[in-house]
Order: sequence, then C-alpha cells, then structure tokens
Amino acid sequence: MEPIVKKWYDGLENEKIMGAKCSDCNNVTFPPMTVCRECRSRRLNPIEMSGKGTIVMFSATILPAKPFADMAPIPYGIVKTEEGPCLFTKISGVDCSSPEAIRRENELLPAPGEATIEKVKGVNIVTFKKA
Amino acid sequence: MIGVGCTRFGSVLETPELKDKTFQELAAEAAFEAMDDAGIDPDKIDAFIVGNMLTHTSQIYSHSTVLSEWLGMRLKGGFHFDTACSTTNTGLGIAWEMIMSGKCKNVLLVAGEILSSKPKKYFPLDREAVDASTLWEWTDFGVDHVYAYHHFYDIGSAYGAFPTLGYMRKNKLSFEQMDKAMMEVNKTVRKHSSMNPKALLYEKGTLEEQAKKDGFASVDDYWKSEKNPFFAWPTRLFSALNTADGFSASVISAEPEKYAKKTPVDILGFHWTTANYPWYGEDTTDWPQDSLAFKEAYKMANIKPEDVDYLYVHDCMQIYQLILPEVCGYVPSGQAWQYATDGRYMFNGDKPLNVSGGRHGGGHAFEASGGFETYEIVKQMRGEAGARQITKKLDIAVQHNHGYGMHTAVTVFKKGQ
Repeated sequence: MEPIVKKWYDGLENEKIMGAKCSDCNNVTFPPMTVCRECRSRRLNPIEMSGKGTIVMFSATILPAKPFADMAPIPYGIVKTEEGPCLFTKISGVDCSSPEAIRRENELLPAPGEATIEKVKGVNIVTFKKA
Repeated sequence: MIGVGCTRFGSVLETPELKDKTFQELAAEAAFEAMDDAGIDPDKIDAFIVGNMLTHTSQIYSHSTVLSEWLGMRLKGGFHFDTACSTTNTGLGIAWEMIMSGKCKNVLLVAGEILSSKPKKYFPLDREAVDASTLWEWTDFGVDHVYAYHHFYDIGSAYGAFPTLGYMRKNKLSFEQMDKAMMEVNKTVRKHSSMNPKALLYEKGTLEEQAKKDGFASVDDYWKSEKNPFFAWPTRLFSALNTADGFSASVISAEPEKYAKKTPVDILGFHWTTANYPWYGEDTTDWPQDSLAFKEAYKMANIKPEDVDYLYVHDCMQIYQLILPEVCGYVPSGQAWQYATDGRYMFNGDKPLNVSGGRHGGGHAFEASGGFETYEIVKQMRGEAGARQITKKLDIAVQHNHGYGMHTAVTVFKKGQ
C-alpha cells in the first residue's frame, strides 16, 4: 500500500489539495483514507479538490487545543466542500473577537469559501477563507 | 444486573470521601458496594472487566492484574477494555455476551477515572493538580490525530457550539430563546444534582441557590453574567461537563434468583456504533452513529420509542439533552427545548431525564460515568432513589453514551421480577 497521509501533506507543500474518488460509488473521501467513507470500497482514485466550498457555521472556544493556545481566539468552522465531504478547520475573513461578533457573522452564513494552504506549527493544513 | 456501586464523584485532592485513597482502593470501594448490593461473594464471580482511560493519572496499564487482588479477583479472568466515556455502558453488553456464551455466570464490571490530578512522579499519593489544557491535550488523543487535530481541532465548537447552532437553525429559534432553554436545562440538572449525595455539585445546591449565594438578584442575571461566559458561542460554560474523579461498578448475572436480594434489572438489548471525526455533516444535530445505535438496541430489545419510561443520555454538553431525546423518539422532534423549559425532564415530570445530575451536576469521570448513570437507573427502578425518586411508572429505561470520539453505546433495561 502506498503511503496516503504523507502523500497528502506532501501534496499541500506543492499547493495541491487532494481527495480520493471511489470507483464504485463515485463519492469523494476527503482528506483521503484507505477506503471510501461511504461504501467501504478500496477502489479509490486520487482527485484534485477544487478548493471551493460553503462555510456552514463557525465558533471559537475559550479552551483551544494546547498546540494552538497562543493563537486564540481561532475561528473554527464547518466547510461543505464542492465535492461533498465536510472539512472542519480554521476560517479566515470572519470576526471572532467577541460572542456578539461570532453571532453577527453566523447570521451571514452559509456563504461561499475558498481553500488556502497554511503552515501552522510546521505542518501544512487546509483552511478556508470567506469569499 | 443484580448489584451496583459507585463512589462519590469529586476530587481525590479535596473531597473527604475520596481523599488520601489510591485508584486501587477506590475501585475496590465501588466493586464492594456492587457485590454487597448483589449479595454475591467474590468467589462466585467468574470474570471481571475494567475500564480506565487516562493512564497518565492512574499510572496503570495492566489494570486487571494490578486490581485483581484489591478486588478479591485473584486467579479470576479479567481484562482492561476501553471505549472512552461510553466504557461502562459498553461493558454491560460485553458482560452480557460473556454470560450468554455460557462461559461465565457472574461478571463484575468496574471502572475508574482520576481527572483532578496525577502523581508528581511515581508515588500515587504524592499528587499534583492537572490543568484543563493538559487534561484536554491527553483526552484529545481520542480524536483523529492524522488530519483533524492539526486543523485547529476545537472541542468546544465541535461538541457544543455547532450542535447548539444547528438546533437553533433547525427549529428556527433565536439566540435568546436558545439561551433561555439551555438555562432551563441547567436548572433541572442542578436541581437533580442537589438531591444526589454522590453528585459532584451536591453541596452547591440548585442554580437558583448558587445565584443567590453569588450575590445575584435573579437566576437569569446569573446565567448571563461573567460567571458563565461563552465556552464557544452560543454554548455557555454551565452547559458543559464538570470533570471529576469517580469509580463505578456493577454485577451482571445469569442466575439472579440465586443471589439478588433486591429487584434485578434485565438487560433487554444493546448496540454499539463507531465513527471517526467529523461525526456529522451540515446538519449538526444528525449523528448517524446515534440514530443507528438507538434503532438496533430497540430492535434487539423489541421495544418502541413510546415504551421508554426513563431516558439517560450522554450530556457532556447539555445540548444533547435536547438533541438525543428527539433522535430516539423520547420526545417529539423539535419540541425538546419546550419540554425542558416546561420542567418535564424533572424527576417528577412525565419525561424524566438524567436524574442523577448528568455530567455537569453529577460530574464526569470519563470511563466511570456510564456506571454512575447505570447506578441511577437501577436505583430508580428499585425505588431506592430517595428524594429524587421518579414518580411515574418505571418499567423500561434506556441509557445512551458517547465515547470520545465517537463511540455510541445504547443499552435498554427492564425492571426484573
């Protein structure tokens, strides 16, 4: 079996956001895994994600995970990608400076978003920017 | 089930009932209560199974060997198992399967968790407090560390804010309506824990009493005050769990007539499901692992949603007191917030829910908490719950738990003969 996770993170280094399309049910698993998340098939083919999606909602906690504590508050949201799967990640282009701001911003969602690749604590990850 | 036991939920650093005791002693305390409650000698137990998640604080890996002699289980078969915060619910099904296979007649299920503190080095009684950030760093190993965690994983939003926001949107509730409903949920939670001497917040009393004690003229002002900030908007801190140290145990038997002096409780059905993060999609109130677990457990038990007299749902975040009763058909879809506001979840209401105080009022000792809730169900079914005794007829009860993240366990109980 080819490495999946390393290849995905290596892809981000080259500004490619990859997913896996199932040959049996056509669903996309994103980020890629060993099997299709919908039908369990192993017959997956790599596809490049469009980087487009819909920002469904977001919030920001007062108890962020330890590695990111120095970056708080962090707007964290749900993105429904154009290909179908949801990614939970940092959202940029929204104001999370107060509960009132988070409330106001959420009243304007869902809204389109676009993927950005960011290096965070030495790891490339996918975040979304509100268009 | 012929016997149940559990310690006080609190802190081994402070709570008199727990202070100066080791993991081994507290596990034994819960197990002895369960065996005494069942009227069974350790000699008659064929096997024992042990739950414990944070080995950082217990400093135990081989739980069954380490505990065997403390529990009176030397030379018995035993093993450690783990489905995180649903462990003691899952364990009921495992014990049931061990018994139904014919290999065992009586099984002891015991679990413990210490979340307040860890040994400074190696000596278990020389402890130091664990801060919240470190505790969640360890706990979050229960979540996908390949992708999700590095994408700014945020438990406050994922487990609290998004389902709450999803519930608001689905039911077209304003933030003010939702906030009020969550306050009403918490009032019931605190009322129940104020009546449960084993609950973490027992001495703190009701929400109304605490508001007064803290100098607030009204509970509404208290709810909206700086004492109760947003954990992750729209979820406030009081709508989240309170971590605790605690231990629980139960005895499951194929021959209740031989031992049980008290009313036994039958396990009619159960089901487990698993899912990796994310646990849901755009509709944050629809978790496929929950609906499937309820459906299959009900099928095994041959019951319908309307047969359920008492429900206990996992409430690490109290929003699940609204979402899950709707998912399993205990209350009509879209109406749980109204049920909670009308006090119908109270011990004397028509839809009693989480009467021991849940994981906020009762406290949350990860793998022991399911057993704390089973303890409550058994006590309620026997009519032994004292001041918080459910007043309506109680024949069928259902317990749901989430194990981080995310394992769902659902067990259906029936009052035995």
